[in-house]
Amino acid sequence: MRSIFFKKPFIILILPLLLLFFNSCEPLATSFDDVEDAVMYTKGQKSAVLPPDSTIKVMTWNIRFGIGRQPWFGDACGDNTVFKKEEVIPGLDAVVARINEVRPDILFLQECDVKSNRTAYIDELQYILDKTYFNYAAYVSEWKSEFIPSDGLGRMDMGLVILSPWPLTDAKRINLATRGDQSGIVNYFYLHSCILSARVKIPGFKEVPLLNIHASAFATDDTKKKHYEEFKAEMDKLDIAGEYFVAGGDLNELPPGSDSTDFCYEDMCPGESFHQPGDDPAHKPGSDYTPETEWLQPIYSAYNCAFPLSFYQQNQEACFTHTTRPEHSWDRTLDYLFTNHRWRNGSAKTHQEFFNESDHAPVSADFVLIKE
Amino acid sequence: MFRKLSFSLFLFICVQTLYAQDEPLLKKWSYNTAYLMPKGKWESGVFQPFRYGINAKMELRANAIIFPLMPNAGLKIALGAKNDFLIASEHSLSVPTPFLNVVSSKGIGGLISPEYDFKFILAVSNSILVSRKISNSMLASANAGYVFALRAEKPDPQSTIDLPLFYPRMAHYYEGSTIKLGAAIKGSLGSKWFYEENFQTFIVTRPENNFFFENSGTLMWALGKSLRIRGGYILAYGEYPYVSPKWQLWPTLDLVFGSK
Repeated sequence: MRSIFFKKPFIILILPLLLLFFNSCEPLATSFDDVEDAVMYTKGQKSAVLPPDSTIKVMTWNIRFGIGRQPWFGDACGDNTVFKKEEVIPGLDAVVARINEVRPDILFLQECDVKSNRTAYIDELQYILDKTYFNYAAYVSEWKSEFIPSDGLGRMDMGLVILSPWPLTDAKRINLATRGDQSGIVNYFYLHSCILSARVKIPGFKEVPLLNIHASAFATDDTKKKHYEEFKAEMDKLDIAGEYFVAGGDLNELPPGSDSTDFCYEDMCPGESFHQPGDDPAHKPGSDYTPETEWLQPIYSAYNCAFPLSFYQQNQEACFTHTTRPEHSWDRTLDYLFTNHRWRNGSAKTHQEFFNESDHAPVSADFVLIKE
Repeated sequence: MFRKLSFSLFLFICVQTLYAQDEPLLKKWSYNTAYLMPKGKWESGVFQPFRYGINAKMELRANAIIFPLMPNAGLKIALGAKNDFLIASEHSLSVPTPFLNVVSSKGIGGLISPEYDFKFILAVSNSILVSRKISNSMLASANAGYVFALRAEKPDPQSTIDLPLFYPRMAHYYEGSTIKLGAAIKGSLGSKWFYEENFQTFIVTRPENNFFFENSGTLMWALGKSLRIRGGYILAYGEYPYVSPKWQLWPTLDLVFGSK
């Protein structure tokens, strides 16, 4: 007798049902297409917006998911994986207070959590939007998983944000090269770096394309170099199209000509050892920039950094935006703003006084608009 | 979507009834019914608990694969028949503390953040099962149960495993107790193929994240007298801490083996 499986009614009725079920399976970790639409946020009760004169202030800030300087296992020498609501909210309030103090017109954020387990399932973007003067935001995930079965991370959704008082359009997630130095299963659950692109139309001025990037921090192969090439390629596209743009974010890279390029000792946690015979790895992942010092040169050569390279090379400490050590001062520059147009002279600022709000200092500069 | 799904399930059951033949359903698949394992017989799955028929009135059960991490044991007791309904009760105890402490760890396998330390928890489950033969090849069952935990200390609410299937089954470790209500239909499709459609709700006695529903469909293939392969799906709905109510679909697979 032939099995029931080969009888027509079974095939007609059951197989489509099974296909339907398995097609609607949600994967544990999200994989991304090359280009995807961003998630848009809008404030219900809009804040009043004053039209700019001739410039807008643009700021980029890696906010370290609102936990300030608290020790997190992934990027500091801490043991903590998850934080309670009462630990996250003060951190977010501090970030919000600083944003309201600087009042950028366009704000790029990196490492913003949306309903992640480690930050008590707070929608940090909604929180920031509600407590600032911004009316619109675009969000793309760079690390999204229903459940990460490692270190108690659980559900994760961390991403990039662009905030604006004016409507944002054409917001997209542009996927960057996958890390080549991770095993398949680790990479499956790991973050996938990306660019958030959007456009803002400010009444009376030419539309401004915006690019916000968070490049890989810990890749030890040439993944970061690929990210900078992809970032520059996006800028090139806009430049060739005759558009003016603002591009920036956390590039996790030092400018060319930096005096210090190896931070293994600065970033070393208790019990770790680097640079000694037999140490494997010899360098702490993400802390040794020595082989990478020229990787940002093509971007510097093609576009205008808010802090020109010559200024940086003569005033390095004033441009530092990061340190892993809460008890020390800033020790390296990782965060940038670029344009193919102009920054207002003398307007660029590294907000080094915001030391306790994140492990990155925000960078701001006034971007010169072009009238319609 | 839900209507389409219900209709498909209805068709699924109807078609299989047409092809049904009488006989070995209970012999092969009495798990989840009011029927007990025959005296001296045993069966176990990789995920399905080990079951052993002590006598005609009592069955012993324990989940063998997780036993070292979660000591557990239970009894199913036959309470007799009324009209065409067979009634049994199920009682089980488990201590999830070692499991929770093991998965609260650094690195891969750390399902819970390592900063949490779990004190003694004893979970107690009691339920009633009722089964009725609809035909020689089809059996309907219903269950109602109450699950609660005795805790040395209330665990931190942020130390839950926020995954479907895990979360509702562990909810009472953290806060409240759980009322379980369910129904299932089992049938045979000849002598080697069997199916089950199961519906289960979990109502947790607490103000939020307190309602869960699961629908599972399983096909089982009896490879021989003592080995069966089961596979299917679980469609889970739940109120988890992070989002508004959510549906998720999971595949299932198990290998069941035991006495001939």
